Amino acid sequence: MAYKILLVDDDPDIRDVVTMLLESKGYETVTACDGIECLAALRAEEPDLMIIDLLMPKMDGFAVLKELEDGRWSKYRNIPILILSSVREEASRRRYELETALEFNVDDYVEKPINPEVLLERVERLVNKNKKA
Amino acid sequence: MTTGSGGRTVPRERERPGLTPEESALVVRIGVFVKMRWLAIAGVLIASLIATQAFHIQFSLVPIYIICAVMTVYNFLFLYQARHLNVEASDSLPETLAVPLRHLLIIPRATSPLLARARATGNVHIIVDLAALTVLLHYTGGIENPFIFYFVFHVILAGILLHYRVAYLVATWAILTVLLLIGLEYYEVIPHVHLEGFAAAGLYQQGSYILSVLLALSTCLYASAYMVTSISGELRKRQREVVALQQKGLTEKTRELEEASEELTTLEEGRQHLLRFLAIASHDLKAPLSAVQSYIQLMLGGFSGELTDKQRQMLERSSIRITEQLELISDLLDISRIEGGQIVKEMEEMSLSQVVGDSVENVRAMATDKSIKLGTRMPASLPKLKASGVRLKQAITNLLVNAIKFTPENGEVLLRITEQSGDIYTEVLDTGVGIGAEDLPKIFDDFYRGSDREKAGSGLGLSIVKRVVEAHGGKIWAESPNPEDKKGRGSKFTFLLPKNLVIAGKKQGRKARLKSQET
Repeated sequence: MAYKILLVDDDPDIRDVVTMLLESKGYETVTACDGIECLAALRAEEPDLMIIDLLMPKMDGFAVLKELEDGRWSKYRNIPILILSSVREEASRRRYELETALEFNVDDYVEKPINPEVLLERVERLVNKNKKA
Repeated sequence: MTTGSGGRTVPRERERPGLTPEESALVVRIGVFVKMRWLAIAGVLIASLIATQAFHIQFSLVPIYIICAVMTVYNFLFLYQARHLNVEASDSLPETLAVPLRHLLIIPRATSPLLARARATGNVHIIVDLAALTVLLHYTGGIENPFIFYFVFHVILAGILLHYRVAYLVATWAILTVLLLIGLEYYEVIPHVHLEGFAAAGLYQQGSYILSVLLALSTCLYASAYMVTSISGELRKRQREVVALQQKGLTEKTRELEEASEELTTLEEGRQHLLRFLAIASHDLKAPLSAVQSYIQLMLGGFSGELTDKQRQMLERSSIRITEQLELISDLLDISRIEGGQIVKEMEEMSLSQVVGDSVENVRAMATDKSIKLGTRMPASLPKLKASGVRLKQAITNLLVNAIKFTPENGEVLLRITEQSGDIYTEVLDTGVGIGAEDLPKIFDDFYRGSDREKAGSGLGLSIVKRVVEAHGGKIWAESPNPEDKKGRGSKFTFLLPKNLVIAGKKQGRKARLKSQET
């Protein structure tokens, strides 16, 4: 059975690139344009991995991470999260921890622009790790 | 009877907080008058005793004792009232009585309730004292008694305490009272008490004597009223000026402070606005380039079918240009963030050896590509710093990238950290092409790219390093050729971070103790 990956990004071109990449390796992809759609898709699709952009309209990636800390989402807690953002990792970490006083708890962080090999390698590692666990 | 020189300042026990100087002076003076009245009572008793015992002047002491007793009683009342001057809220009887007087003499309203109350109290003191002195005089010889001139003290008291017109009124009132007393005695409406053994028996009916005493008394009282009121009026004026000046100064200072704090708020708002603007600009400038770059990488990765060599070459060049553009945007935004003061917010306890390690990792691949030997030398233990780890990493990385870029293949680049009298020195040495003497002073300028324009780069790398170092209170300089290179090649960059960034007592490094024993 193919792994299902939820991809959340407001940039249609990024969604296009990532979808193309993931599908070339046989992953099934579900896309969402913002945090609200992301949470809805999470419930509906129960993916094996989430790839989330940070800066998005309506509800951004930071808000999604914070929301997932809530007990209501405990069912989805073991789904790994990979952040795909053009913001540097340290800057995002600092911002999230300053704003929420929570630990920036993500499984991986890939900076844009996308390097296909790197992204695929990280995705593969995450879905396999989760399978073992 | 009331002796003394008026409102001399007494110990400051009666000064109360929250009173204007004028108010507190008046309160103090009323207290002084109460004290002086005790002296006066004692003086009257002693003078009477001396007169009767030492000089054998004959007169009845009983009325004097009674008057002294009455004075003692009302002085206790005054004392009580003086202590509670600013306690009462409603208008007291003296104040109500003082209103017609104020209207009669066209005296301006007191500037505070306390002043009004103190002045009204002063009125009462003077009226009662005048009456007491008159009665006392009657029983001690009337016009025969030279103490008749003691009315001058009431005038002085009024001149100090009250409005200057009141002083003249008191003088007039005293003269009228004396006139009435002497007149009644002269026409024998009331009995005359003769001071036997002191004055001639018929003196109280001797017209020339009476007239001369009255004349002397009147001139004395009016002259005193004039002198005292002019002096105390001047004093009061000065006092008010001082208060007004103080208040003016205070208002000005307050206004200046308010303005300064408003400016600060505006500045901080501006800064926040700038940072918000930069965050959005950063995202919006980079997002399209990121998307394009991602497509190019996808194509180069062969995910969209095979490419011809020509296509591959063109895409690779496009990709390089986009990477440069993304770096330029990052550099510009970094500079704006540093200038906007964000670096201060990023300062926290951080490990310099970790920053050094990360920076070296960032450039290791680049060095390996050119077969450059990348060396690191630093003490086994380095102190913890309060600094921006992100920015220092950026600074060291930039210096290393620069050194590698300008060093030919098989060269050497060395990163060395030393601690000298507390300051931390970071040095990057290379065996590269070096920097021309004409370029050396300008290499830290924005967009300065030296004479060798073939090399890629925005020309902002070193200016960012300089900004980062200076934002930490440090210094940076460059030397070329590298003074430590035996063949006189390359360059040496040094920046120092001042010791005040060092967090005292916190060393790091696992082998710290071991190493220090070795050396």
